[in-house]
Amino acid sequence: MTRWFILLISFWLIPASLHAESVDLQEQVRRIAAELRCPVCQALSVADSPSEMAQQMRAIIQQQLKEGKSPDEVKTYFISKYGEWVMLAPTAKGFSLLIWILPFVALGGGILFVVFTVRRWVKSKPEGRSMEADPALVQRVKQDLARREDWEVAPDLEGPQASLLRERARLYRELQELELDLQAGKLSEADYHESRQRSEVQAANVLKELGSMVPAAIINPVKEGTAKSSQPGSRRSWVFAATAAFLLLFGVTLGILLSNSLRPRTSPEDSITGDFLTGTSPEVTVTQGGDLESLISQGRDAYARQDWAQAIAAFKKVLSINSSHPEAHAYMGLILAGAGHSDAALMAFDRALSTDPNYAMALWGNGMVLYRQKGDLSGARQKLQKLLTLLPPGPERESVQKTFVEMSNQKETQLAGQATVMSDRIHGTISIEPILKTKRQGGGILFIIARRATTQGGPPLAVKRIASPVFPLSYSLGKENMMIPGSRFEGKVNIIVRLDKDGDPLTREPGSLIGNYHNNPVEIGSQNVNIILNEEIK
Amino acid sequence: MPWRRLTVTVLAIMLLIGLLAYGFTRDPRYIDSPLIGRPAPLFTLTLFDGKNVRLQDLRGKVVFLNFWASWCPPCRAEAKDLEANWQSFKDQDIVFLGINIQDKEPNAIEYINEFGITFPNGRDATGRIAVDYGVWGIPETFFIDTEGRITYKHVGSLGWPTITAKLHEAQRSLVSASEGRGSYQPIR
Repeated sequence: MTRWFILLISFWLIPASLHAESVDLQEQVRRIAAELRCPVCQALSVADSPSEMAQQMRAIIQQQLKEGKSPDEVKTYFISKYGEWVMLAPTAKGFSLLIWILPFVALGGGILFVVFTVRRWVKSKPEGRSMEADPALVQRVKQDLARREDWEVAPDLEGPQASLLRERARLYRELQELELDLQAGKLSEADYHESRQRSEVQAANVLKELGSMVPAAIINPVKEGTAKSSQPGSRRSWVFAATAAFLLLFGVTLGILLSNSLRPRTSPEDSITGDFLTGTSPEVTVTQGGDLESLISQGRDAYARQDWAQAIAAFKKVLSINSSHPEAHAYMGLILAGAGHSDAALMAFDRALSTDPNYAMALWGNGMVLYRQKGDLSGARQKLQKLLTLLPPGPERESVQKTFVEMSNQKETQLAGQATVMSDRIHGTISIEPILKTKRQGGGILFIIARRATTQGGPPLAVKRIASPVFPLSYSLGKENMMIPGSRFEGKVNIIVRLDKDGDPLTREPGSLIGNYHNNPVEIGSQNVNIILNEEIK
Repeated sequence: MPWRRLTVTVLAIMLLIGLLAYGFTRDPRYIDSPLIGRPAPLFTLTLFDGKNVRLQDLRGKVVFLNFWASWCPPCRAEAKDLEANWQSFKDQDIVFLGINIQDKEPNAIEYINEFGITFPNGRDATGRIAVDYGVWGIPETFFIDTEGRITYKHVGSLGWPTITAKLHEAQRSLVSASEGRGSYQPIR
């Protein structure tokens, strides 16, 4: 019976001890993890981070502890892989020691600075007295000092006169100390004269006040003064109390602001101080905020709720801070495409892709504008094909794949049905070099000229005339623009454009702008023959 | 006297501004690796075809070690280049080894098939190898010389010229002074 009882007890005890061991191990893992910085989330410890990486790191800590490694050895392992960076609190050695010391040095320095500034301020403006004094009274102060009398007031005396007499005694003492400091070389000549002048003026003002009360008090100070009033000492304590209150307020404000700035934000509009202090609204932060990330998320939100004006304002602000921000350019492209400005949208996407050629949103937008709005299936196909190689499997990729297939099918039918239409036209866009844009005064006539690549001189094969063009401009050159009747609109041609000032195609007057297609000659039937007006006729 | 005071004040302000400017130029996510010039951590990797590869067994060869995931766009951007480089270097004493992390096996295999990758690849399911190499953003690539020492580390997509240059350096055991950076994706 006893044996059975012991067995039963041991069955209860073994799992309990195992459980205690496991709890202890978990606690050790948690403690070490709390000291390590998660490489994925930046501001979180490995213990607090929900990321996959942090989970894997916690498992490694547990495994190493089970293998018998000490907590220090585990931490050293992570430092050997990620450097000192991985420790949330850097070790107090070498250069890292500065991080521990500097805040205290800065705090001490700050307190000393405030104390000295307040003291100097109090000294220079005691009780708001005027810094001007009667020269006769200043002379009197000098004489008093030369006599070296005892100006001390009995401590039991009270009243306004006694206060003034104590103040006079204090100032006289101060003047004597200044003299001694100068002789001992503790004070420079300039500082001595400045301080002495200040104290003499203050003392003269005290004498003036005393004189206005009871002239006898000045001659026989010890016997005067009976009325009750506040002491100069109490004024000084007020100054210290004010300084302490200021420091406390400063510390509390700093504490609140710092803790607020480090807290997780609930929304993009959530500012550092929060609405209760600043009263900031999303509209104001769009125009005043400097934080790129916050501006971008404001723009995204505005785009999502189709508030185009605010989205444009936010993205323009982003671009004013960082003119090559790919996401801002891509969103601007999407907004412009939605508004039907396909050429401007394409330029925005191009800017995004010039910064990051693999920027998925810009590739998608570019492809869709080329496909849906410009009918350039080969260009669209190229962009979407690149996007497909970049997108991981998932719903987004499936959607692009679907569009791609739809586009390919359409391309085949179009090629079959519109072969003749596609083959005898040249399409493209014309824009102006930004530097020349500023010189342009508006108006003018744009000529798009196609000359046969094989012949020199003679009339051009085709010319298109556009009055008062707005750039960027998309164009199409076809049979209807031919100058030589009876000839065929086919083969290779050189494309030149001219923004003519007087509108006469036969004259080339100064101020007109010209541009050549960079890949001349071009086959009739080509797409994307994009030309920039980049030269000014002198 | 005022001049001295002014100079000290201006210097102090300049120092603070300089410190602030230096702070702004740094990418706070970026973790400098302490592993360059040190022996590469040893590991055994089970490849997708079931075979095992031990880094120790590759002594005497230059190893191109690439950490990737199928969900990472910069990895996809460099995938074709890596395979093309492998094709041109595979006859020399150079081994390309891909380590798939934080991924699902079917997705990883689909990725390998999609880009026609033929160099050996395996999955680090526990993340132990990734942590051993201090991986934090992918793709991350380590160049290991014939003595088993890391000569160069690159965070982000790699292009043909860098791969070629750094492989030649690894062949001559030349350790790079700094890491390379490209477009990367933080791991999850």
